[in-house]
Amino acid sequence: MSQNNPSTAFAGASKYVLDEELAKIVNISMAVEMPLLLKGEPGTGKTMLAHAIAESLNMRLIVLNVKSSMKLVETLYQYDTLTRLNDSRFGDSSRDVSNIEDYIKMGKIGQSFVSDERVVLLIDEIDKADTDFQDDMLDVLDQMEFDIIEIDKTISAKYRPVIVITSNAKKDLSDPFLGRCNFHHIAFPEPDMMRTIVRVHFPDISKDLLDHTVKAFYRMREFRGIEKKPATRELINWIRALNADSDFRAKDLVKADIPYLGVLFKKSPDYIIAQNSVSRMRL
Amino acid sequence: MFTNFFYLLRQVGIPVSPTSFLRLQKALGIGLITSIDDFYTAARAILVKSERYFDLYDQAFAHHFEGAELKEPEEFELSEVARAMLDEWLKDPKGLADALGMDEESLNKLSPDELLQYFLDRLKEQTGEHHGGGKWIGTGGTSPVGHSGYHPGGMRVGGISRSKSAVKVAMDRRYRDYSQEGPLTQAQIGEALKRLRNLVPAGPKDVINIDETIYQTMKNAGEIEIVFERSLKDRLKVILAIDNGGWSMEPYIELVQTLFNYSRAQFKELRTFFFHNTIYDNLWEDPPRFRKPFKVDDLARLDPETRFIIVGDASMAPYELMATDGSIHIEERTMKPSYERLRFIAETFPKSAWFNPKMADEWPYTRTINVIQEIFPMFELTIDGLENAVSYLMQKN
Repeated sequence: MSQNNPSTAFAGASKYVLDEELAKIVNISMAVEMPLLLKGEPGTGKTMLAHAIAESLNMRLIVLNVKSSMKLVETLYQYDTLTRLNDSRFGDSSRDVSNIEDYIKMGKIGQSFVSDERVVLLIDEIDKADTDFQDDMLDVLDQMEFDIIEIDKTISAKYRPVIVITSNAKKDLSDPFLGRCNFHHIAFPEPDMMRTIVRVHFPDISKDLLDHTVKAFYRMREFRGIEKKPATRELINWIRALNADSDFRAKDLVKADIPYLGVLFKKSPDYIIAQNSVSRMRL
Repeated sequence: MFTNFFYLLRQVGIPVSPTSFLRLQKALGIGLITSIDDFYTAARAILVKSERYFDLYDQAFAHHFEGAELKEPEEFELSEVARAMLDEWLKDPKGLADALGMDEESLNKLSPDELLQYFLDRLKEQTGEHHGGGKWIGTGGTSPVGHSGYHPGGMRVGGISRSKSAVKVAMDRRYRDYSQEGPLTQAQIGEALKRLRNLVPAGPKDVINIDETIYQTMKNAGEIEIVFERSLKDRLKVILAIDNGGWSMEPYIELVQTLFNYSRAQFKELRTFFFHNTIYDNLWEDPPRFRKPFKVDDLARLDPETRFIIVGDASMAPYELMATDGSIHIEERTMKPSYERLRFIAETFPKSAWFNPKMADEWPYTRTINVIQEIFPMFELTIDGLENAVSYLMQKN
């Protein structure tokens, strides 16, 4: 991704097609200084949005990939006891062993707080962690400060980061959590929007290929019994695969000859259903 | 500002908190919101916290602001409203015919455009009250899926307007599919059932907690201190009994299969049984209910902590449930009424639940559902129902 057009309001980025509604929501969230919680089908660009905001506002992006076993303190800071022990035994580093602060490393949220400029903080897939983690984290983000108990010091944010949180969960997060976020659900793009998105990624795609792939793609999303429908990400990877194949001609799609189904359907039962359904598909 | 709108949202059932309302005021205060379009987007992002309520929000918004914008409806806007209302009404052609004062026969002959024109003419004759939009509010459970209502002439109306103003965007009801009325998907079921997991530490302390070990070692100034823990195991046992027979369950089979497929992946120990309508002496381990019977009496030997989940519509002839020897299958003869059998199961497994694919508001009309409800706590087979059931099943004591 290229770094260009710095501005204060978010208006889209080079590889991200933004609908007007979402742009407004991003701008409002930045203005009222609230984290923005994004939900939507996997592959509809929730994570990409944070990248796009960072790119278009020319800010640094800090990504916190939430894991199920994660503890809140890890995201704030880490007290590197092992290095300290090592230093105390061998003493060949420039760090001062008696100064614990030298052994505090900032976690992702910590980094976004101590940064010297405003950053975009992406908290990806919050639903993986348990509810307590989520609530506690929002407390920290709400107050914009946390304590490092080992050195009894309070870290508060120099600049309030722009916070984007994504969730894949079909069920809602807890009420206190939701109360502290703005919310948006990214709906699956309409075919027209999808064409625009594809064109952004493949500027010199032929009209034939674009029409046929998008049409076939939406048809395939309708297959009965599919558990994980292919999303934007899959479509883009699929077109990339088709482009790479020199034997492929767009006309083949009309004859229901669909190569690289595996790019679109990643679960094996889905793949089998798709294989069976494709032969009956007519564009 | 917009206090009425706030209360309207609460009234239609969207959980809007006062804090978020104040936050909206703040957003209004800093001059970010300059048009009704902005307001639509901003208020939704700030007030509404789940896509399940987006549809309700759209309806409430359209209702609340329609009046404000449509004091002097122009021809174009009027037709927008009319189209949308027609869409609602076309689901009930008889009601429409009555409302327009013509019989269904002649309504059939009109093309949608003629119909719309006729409707518009009538609308203008009448005074404001008709498009006051009472139609928009009320959660009386209209058809959950799609735009395509039933039209006598076989045409699809509505869902085609592409408009700019926020009110009309709201009227599009783009989020209808996400509202709670929507169908249950596999992923949603999985999400709800995941809560049934009961991870508790079990077995000997034989797992090293590395983080804790390092931390304690450092605290000991480098003297190694190894911390052991018990590993986490899911000890929950689940028995799923599915009604897979008969016409009455036919429409729900796909739903139940989804539930079944997903639950298989969720639990360590899951037994599945089948029955038809209700349970007599035997449950069946094979779906055709033929080869592998399992005596209900034998259930008593299983762990009483097992969660017993029954999926069925609980709809049958009363004698099947209440009478001795009530089974409709000639080869299935018994001396105990099914009613007693169910009671036995409920007593054997204190944590049991009955999922009913029928919606709760239909339950009072079926006698056998009422009887079974006295034995088992009954839950709707919807996201909310599943969640309630799971929290019931996971209650301590």
